[in-house]
Amino acid sequence: MAFSPLVDQLLETLRVLPGVGPKTAQRMALHLLERDRDGGRRLVASLGEALEQVGYCQRCRTLTETPLCTICEDARRDEGLLCVVESPADMLAIEQAGGYRGHYFVLHGHLSPLDGIGPEDIGLDQLDERLANGAIEELILATNPTVEGEATAHYIAEQLRGTGVRLSRLAYGVPMGGELEYVDGGTLSRAFNGRLPFAQESS
Amino acid sequence: MTPEPAFLLHKRPYRETSAIVELLTLTQGRVRAVAQGVQRGGSKARGILQPYSPLHVTWSGNGELKRLRLLESQGSTALLAGEGLLCGFYANELMTRVLPLEYPVGEVFSHYALTLEALPSPAKRAGALRRLEITLLESLDMAPRFVDEHDAPLDAYTHYLYHAERHCFRAVAPGQGGIDGRSLKWLARGDWEAPGLAGVAKHVTRSALAPLLGERPLRSRELMRRLAERRRTS
Repeated sequence: MAFSPLVDQLLETLRVLPGVGPKTAQRMALHLLERDRDGGRRLVASLGEALEQVGYCQRCRTLTETPLCTICEDARRDEGLLCVVESPADMLAIEQAGGYRGHYFVLHGHLSPLDGIGPEDIGLDQLDERLANGAIEELILATNPTVEGEATAHYIAEQLRGTGVRLSRLAYGVPMGGELEYVDGGTLSRAFNGRLPFAQESS
Repeated sequence: MTPEPAFLLHKRPYRETSAIVELLTLTQGRVRAVAQGVQRGGSKARGILQPYSPLHVTWSGNGELKRLRLLESQGSTALLAGEGLLCGFYANELMTRVLPLEYPVGEVFSHYALTLEALPSPAKRAGALRRLEITLLESLDMAPRFVDEHDAPLDAYTHYLYHAERHCFRAVAPGQGGIDGRSLKWLARGDWEAPGLAGVAKHVTRSALAPLLGERPLRSRELMRRLAERRRTS
């Protein structure tokens, strides 16, 4: 037995979401139609609103419905620090980890010549502008530790050559609570190369 | 099958947690396969399946797209950074663009491995890449022959242009540019890594590769060019 055309269409549409296959789509659709039509309406409304209004922050390119995001608006944050990340999710992860009080710049991707993704596709021109008119003292390269992330970091570093902006890169290390035995070789050798003087007690 | 030495050339996400990978293997040349589950957070294979890292793999399937089975890292990854990394991209892009699928190129494989070893040191980079390019051209029967279009040996005092269709050199009248015969004679002896010949060697391999690459430019070369330009202006 097949569902009616509208229900079928709903099932098909729900599958645009990541992690949703035919079975899950069916469960979601039946749940909304049979048990929670109000929830469904709220979903439609907020989805519609978000799709209509959410765009990119003019300064840091993260997702927001206002011209500037809350972080860029926040006067208490350090104007001299800029952290470059690949995605809004990375930015959120750093925010949740806490401790960082500077600003961000979101690339929405990384350089990947083999996929045809070049500097203009990840907003590096905009980063240039941002650096030209801002009082940035330190730029933190927080792109992923993949070859593409490294290449992106390298490109940005070249962009900054001679500007006097201090550059730093996130360190490679062993995960907290991890065991050396199970850490992959690449991480371990980089953690070794980037070892730090042993701090007795921070004074 | 017994585990096969391989290098990852390229990986692109496929479905939610899988990836389609291009591998350069020792006995089967370039192989395209689906690596299931490697994009999943916490997947062990995710850290292993990185470019420039020596791997041992097995796969199954008879079609063009295989299914990657076993994946092990074998030895340490070349720690490439900066320009070396971009050169690595170039080598990978060249392989994926020029090598036909499942065309055995054992020589290319070993030179690829040597190139990765050379890339961290700036002085060795160009030579290693030229050597890789020429091995690639040889394995595809496209290597330049150091003779003129009448199959006569080159003359040290004449200037030549590369004849891409016939893989040989064509003499040009004095004053019309071209490469001097003396440099070409050095290259003919296999001196691809000689520092004084770097420019000529690059020109020759580039001309010989051009017909294989067609109209579409190499994006990694483009990236390196733009970076160099930026460096000059800043």
